Amino acid sequence: MSETINFTTTESMLINVANLIENDKYYWVAIGGSPMMAMMLARKTCAPRAYYVVEDGTISPDPLEYVPFLSGASGAAEYRAVAWKDMNTVGFHCAMGYYDYGILDCLQVDMYGNINSTFIGGTYEHPERRFGGPGGANEIASMCWQTIFMADQEKRKYPRRVDFISSPGYLDGSLRARERAGLPANTGPYRVVSEIAMFGFDEETHIMKLLAIAPWVTLDDLLAEMDFEPLIADPLEKLPPPTEQQLTVLRAEIDPGGRILGQGTWIEYTPED
Amino acid sequence: MDVLASGKGVYRTPDPDGHREWVRTHKSRELKSKVMTAKEAVEQFVSDGDYLGYDLNIHKRGPTALMHEIIRQKKKNLWVAVRFSGMDPAILIAGGCVSRIDIGWFIQSGTCSRAIQEGLIKVTEWTNGAVVYRQLAGAMGLPFLPLRYIGGTDTFEQSGAKLIKDPFTGQEICLVPALNLDVAVVHVHQCDEFGNARIFGSGLSPMETCSCAKKLILSTEEVVSSDEIRRRPQLTTVPYYMVDAVVHVPFGTYPGAMPGLYGSDPEHMIEMMMADRMDTMDAYLEKWVYAFESHVEMLDKLVGARKLIQLMQAETFREGYRA
Repeated sequence: MSETINFTTTESMLINVANLIENDKYYWVAIGGSPMMAMMLARKTCAPRAYYVVEDGTISPDPLEYVPFLSGASGAAEYRAVAWKDMNTVGFHCAMGYYDYGILDCLQVDMYGNINSTFIGGTYEHPERRFGGPGGANEIASMCWQTIFMADQEKRKYPRRVDFISSPGYLDGSLRARERAGLPANTGPYRVVSEIAMFGFDEETHIMKLLAIAPWVTLDDLLAEMDFEPLIADPLEKLPPPTEQQLTVLRAEIDPGGRILGQGTWIEYTPED
Repeated sequence: MDVLASGKGVYRTPDPDGHREWVRTHKSRELKSKVMTAKEAVEQFVSDGDYLGYDLNIHKRGPTALMHEIIRQKKKNLWVAVRFSGMDPAILIAGGCVSRIDIGWFIQSGTCSRAIQEGLIKVTEWTNGAVVYRQLAGAMGLPFLPLRYIGGTDTFEQSGAKLIKDPFTGQEICLVPALNLDVAVVHVHQCDEFGNARIFGSGLSPMETCSCAKKLILSTEEVVSSDEIRRRPQLTTVPYYMVDAVVHVPFGTYPGAMPGLYGSDPEHMIEMMMADRMDTMDAYLEKWVYAFESHVEMLDKLVGARKLIQLMQAETFREGYRA
């Protein structure tokens, strides 16, 4: 009988993203949120040679700790960078094709990988809830070669069609839709990651496709938390559960106070032998 | 050139020749001292109805002292370029200074969301990058620039961007109109009395923001000699002839962090965010802005030397932030 492990949904989400991060690839990571935590986890575990840039112009930093955006993102976040530049410089380098992957968290992602961070409910002119807009996510989702999205597995976060396309996925899914809108060729969403699932996109239709599912949930549980039915890979893989090393790094080095990790729901899981 | 699609967002029509005329007639080439108080600088160079921009945000190297002065002087109907912002648009909106914003991004803010939902301020959608890219076009003296993002989205539909067929390649590409601000307010690490300024650390768009503006107010942590500037010219971010006013304000970005010098004040940040969430920004502004004549007086009476020393000690990273 294997040992029971306990972890939060936040930890499981970060671990699922970190498992995707590769050595010797370059990432444009959303500043100061969960994408940055996933990047730090990967750099301390499976991918110490993954490099990243953030949109304020910090190129390949080597920070000692995770620095949330609000708690005075000061020198700590820029520590040991190879260059301190600016937002336009990062945009230029992305437009030229230097950045392999973008990593973004999002409010809503739809079946074509379009994301919304502008408003939910009502109309654009009279929104029920207004949010902060695309920020740098539009640049990242447009120009990185491939983009990884993070979205909690909740029905309202996986609508068939987002209320507003703040940043582009495959748009209407049609062939060359992105190129026709002026975006660089051969780019687009790569993975959508939740705490219990990993999705890709069908190469022909550009519809979201379920690739792997956490071993502690059923397919029905998962589909109940989506507004549309994704394509389903055959065979459907199982996501690896969190390892002791990953949980230790998250809890002891990245968020020692548990302020962010503790916000998730606790999962108790006993791996089958 | 074929225009294939146009966003319906409101933008100010670019006017590169108008900007050149302004520079010709208003920007002094003389090496003269521009040192003045924040009160004098804002009285002289910020007008009701101005298009306002600034670099970074109230959490990091933002021009807090100058923003507070704009609020204190009750400037009205500003059009504010908001990108990569923190609570800065919230305090300007709460101060009644804003009638229109360009949105790249604002942090989750009750004040901003309410103002938009209730139609109190008008909005044009952009992205963070598109706003600084528009400033780059303005800083290059051009009417527009092509870019490889924003297209295909609802953001595009609500922006002032256009999709065209590129006359050189025949491929689709988006264009954004240049942005020349009426006034920019920027906080720097060091500058001399003429305005030759140094900024250390990652910047958002210090060069573009300073260069694209008709009027530029710098606040600085430290005034250094012009000889010091000329000893290390490579470090100069902004040359003097763009600068209209130099305001010496140590801790001028408080409660935000100044990289390499001091950290942000977490207690103040929580107070500010709670005021935003609880819709009590009036009381917040009364306490931190209206009650005082200047940033220095506020620091002296509400923050104190002990706290400021703690904030300096909290910034444990110094490498790279010195000449």
